[in-house]
Amino acid sequence: MKELSDTGNVLLIAAFAIQLLSIVFLSFKNERKALFTSNITMLVGLTLGLISTLSSTLFSSAEITSVSIFSGLIRLDGLSLYFLFVIQLVAIPTTIYSISYLRHYVEQKRSVKSFITFYIILLISTQFIVIANQAILFLVSWEVMSISAYFAIVYEKESEEVQTGSFYYFAASHVLIFILYIIFFLFHHETGSWFFSDYHLSFSSGLMVPVIFILSIIGFGIKAGFMPFHFWLPQAHPIAPTVLSAFLSGVLLKTGIYGILRIYQFIKPMPEWCGWFVLVISVISAILGVWYALAQHDIKRLLAYHSVENIGIIGIGIGIGFIGSANNLPAVEVLGFGGALLHTLNHAIFKSLLFIGSGVVYQNLGTRNIELMGGLVHPAKYIAILFLIGSVAISGIPPFNGFISEFIIYMGFFKTANELKNYYPILMLMFVVGLAFVGGLAVACFTKVNSIIFLGSERSEVKHFHTSVYDYISLGILALLCISIGFYPQPFVGVVNKVIANGFTTGASSALVDIDWLYFTMIFSSIALGVFVLYLIKIKLEKKYGRRNSAAWGCGYENLTPRMQYTASSFADELNTIPKAILDYHKKVEVSENAFPLQSKFKSHSKDFVDSKIVLPAFNVLRALVAKIEFLSQTDIRYYIGFILIIIAIYSMIAFLWT
Amino acid sequence: MDLEILQGIISIIIILGVAPLFAGMVNKQKAVLTGRVGAPILQPYYELQRLIKKETINASGSSFISRISPLINLVTLIIAAAMLPVGFWKPLISFDGDIILFAYILGLVRFFQILAAMDIGSSFEGMGAAREATFALFAEPIFFFTIGSISFISGFTSLYDIYHSIQLTNISYEVFIIICSISVFMLAVTECSRMPVDDPNTHLELTMIHEVMILDNSGIDLFLYQYSSYVKLFIYAILEVSFFYPFSKQSYLIGIIIFITGAIALTFLLGVVETITSRYRMKNIPQYLLFATAIGILNLLIYTFTK
Repeated sequence: MKELSDTGNVLLIAAFAIQLLSIVFLSFKNERKALFTSNITMLVGLTLGLISTLSSTLFSSAEITSVSIFSGLIRLDGLSLYFLFVIQLVAIPTTIYSISYLRHYVEQKRSVKSFITFYIILLISTQFIVIANQAILFLVSWEVMSISAYFAIVYEKESEEVQTGSFYYFAASHVLIFILYIIFFLFHHETGSWFFSDYHLSFSSGLMVPVIFILSIIGFGIKAGFMPFHFWLPQAHPIAPTVLSAFLSGVLLKTGIYGILRIYQFIKPMPEWCGWFVLVISVISAILGVWYALAQHDIKRLLAYHSVENIGIIGIGIGIGFIGSANNLPAVEVLGFGGALLHTLNHAIFKSLLFIGSGVVYQNLGTRNIELMGGLVHPAKYIAILFLIGSVAISGIPPFNGFISEFIIYMGFFKTANELKNYYPILMLMFVVGLAFVGGLAVACFTKVNSIIFLGSERSEVKHFHTSVYDYISLGILALLCISIGFYPQPFVGVVNKVIANGFTTGASSALVDIDWLYFTMIFSSIALGVFVLYLIKIKLEKKYGRRNSAAWGCGYENLTPRMQYTASSFADELNTIPKAILDYHKKVEVSENAFPLQSKFKSHSKDFVDSKIVLPAFNVLRALVAKIEFLSQTDIRYYIGFILIIIAIYSMIAFLWT
Repeated sequence: MDLEILQGIISIIIILGVAPLFAGMVNKQKAVLTGRVGAPILQPYYELQRLIKKETINASGSSFISRISPLINLVTLIIAAAMLPVGFWKPLISFDGDIILFAYILGLVRFFQILAAMDIGSSFEGMGAAREATFALFAEPIFFFTIGSISFISGFTSLYDIYHSIQLTNISYEVFIIICSISVFMLAVTECSRMPVDDPNTHLELTMIHEVMILDNSGIDLFLYQYSSYVKLFIYAILEVSFFYPFSKQSYLIGIIIFITGAIALTFLLGVVETITSRYRMKNIPQYLLFATAIGILNLLIYTFTK
């Protein structure tokens, strides 16, 4: 075939082949050996894939040219290459980490082969989703991705928590794929083709396109975790093995974002209400996501809610992009979509960093409850530093990568207000304040997480904090990416700008590359340099005038215990009390009535509003309805054959009448 | 060297040099108004000089966080100060969008300040940290509803340009700016831990926010924290005084005179406010902050519909 003569394509196909090959190495009898060889092979495959992506037109100075292989089944355009890059970039550190994480299971004499098989299939199918150019291939990859992720999540299936959580995931992904089927059948109905490159619809052509748009927001929104559809996320992510949670939260959610952007390419330009629709949903997701996170004690559930927040921020960018597209303003489009795309990459990086960090802590302490942790900075200094980098980045604070993408989104707001005038400045200001509010809440949340897990003194004793070199490699890679995107954003911004130029905007605009990125490099470097120089001076002064450690001030009381420290609940209590009704935040204080009280108890708890007030009641109603037709459920198989025949008859009747 | 860069560097030196003096003046005003003689205006310098020669004592449970946090605090505040127009001059750092960087870089200060407080592992510091995190959240919208709204109205996104877009053209805009400056003053009071939100002079740990967070610091660490708090107060003073830009258009000299007069007037205002108000109960502070936010929103809405 002609397209196979291209070295880039050969490299990509070889990468997929090697990734698939890694399953073969699982046939080793020795678990440890199987784990190691298959992971290393997987890594080689992923690295090859990354090299082929890096050597593509996405990273060269030329414009992006779309490449089609296998007679158009697979197509590599800007968006595909970008998401492929994100997946491969983050999959490498998580795979490195899985070597050390899964070794713990091997030591407990548990077979990890099934998990690795599904993990590998998950990685491959996720990569296929973003490069598929044909609806059937896309849907099949999507289904494979969902199912393999499900089987990987239920790895510790004997635990009841895992059974419930994974069922949430299973149910949500099934509703979702059903909606995706409808979307692509509608596309096929309208255009008569299964190929993505043939899909061009316009909003002016009737009611079909708005329906597709709403369906895609719901369908892909379930995957991405936008607010009313987020309920499965905090259930499924905490119970998955940490390697998988890192990949789920960092990358898999982004397939939802990919889907929304892909659909946008099919039906652009958008009318303006689409932009407002996405913008409002996103702001709600961002604010409530981070607020729910603040109320959690389970570290992985907390991080899962932060994914809802970050998906909200990405959505805000997409919303601005839609508004720009509606008003034919390339500058606004570039800033909106640019912020969204860069935040997609950034969130993938720092979220997997945080999940892997929490996994290392979990392996050593055996609990996910942060109230039982504390003082881990002493036994695990470098893990604490790496986790801190991720925390600063996710809070959107300079000098790391989270700030860069949020900055672009802010510039998008300013640009929209400037270009459209009228009542837009006020509306945009409201969203700016919303985003700033999210930033403030994220600061509160991550100072809480960091200080309760790592700072202070140990609440439960840690005798030996075990870390392996793989932990440091994977965390180090991710932290380095956080730092480099923060300190030197130009190349990454350039890549994002190219992706947008390839089939997003209505016209050319240099709004993204025109931002004075050099200032950021200079300012952040001078902060780092300033801190370093001051540190040297400080050391010198301390040598001269002395420095020592002494007990903390306790008003003269000397027997301070770790239990007297501020806890996560008390730190967040004041903030959680404000939206009490939405967070379903309950506090219970039991004070003993004795004259000499010995023990008092305090308990705080928050339930997900959507889960407890909407999803579960809806399911109960459904169950009641199903109970009414339960008489149809018979033990005799002939009844079922009868039902199937009746259904087929009804379908054929409809088909007959339709034509 | 370029004149603008020279001006920017001089601005930073002025901020670093004058910040303690400004704090000393506020304290002197307050003392005089309450009928005391008060410490000399240069007292903050003496205190800094004393602190730098003291032994540094770290709490025994603390980590590297409480050792580097004071450094990050000071360095970051200096960078923030470099974005402000001292004496209406062009600052060293000025580019489109620096209003966002300014707000977020103060977030970096806050992040490490809270971490350093929690690092001690004492509930005193924990209390202060939790309060700081909560109140900072309510303070954030005030900044955007005041300076941010001027930015949205004028279309500029750099602090220098935003202040230079202020004009005395029509009455509704003038009223808008005046009310904005009131909101900024309320914000400054919160962020700089002054009365009625926080009391910089109290020694009762349970009632403090900023002071309790640095309770266990001493020596060079305390020096850095104190100095940073003076710089921070002066930063907010510049944010406030810069509203007088329209009166200083004629020449540099008039600008500088107006700037100095404005700063002195501000110390007087802070002194008066601290004399006539008492510190609010912790429970009421969010209400105070929401009040400032509400002023900002109402002000913006009224301006939009009357212009």
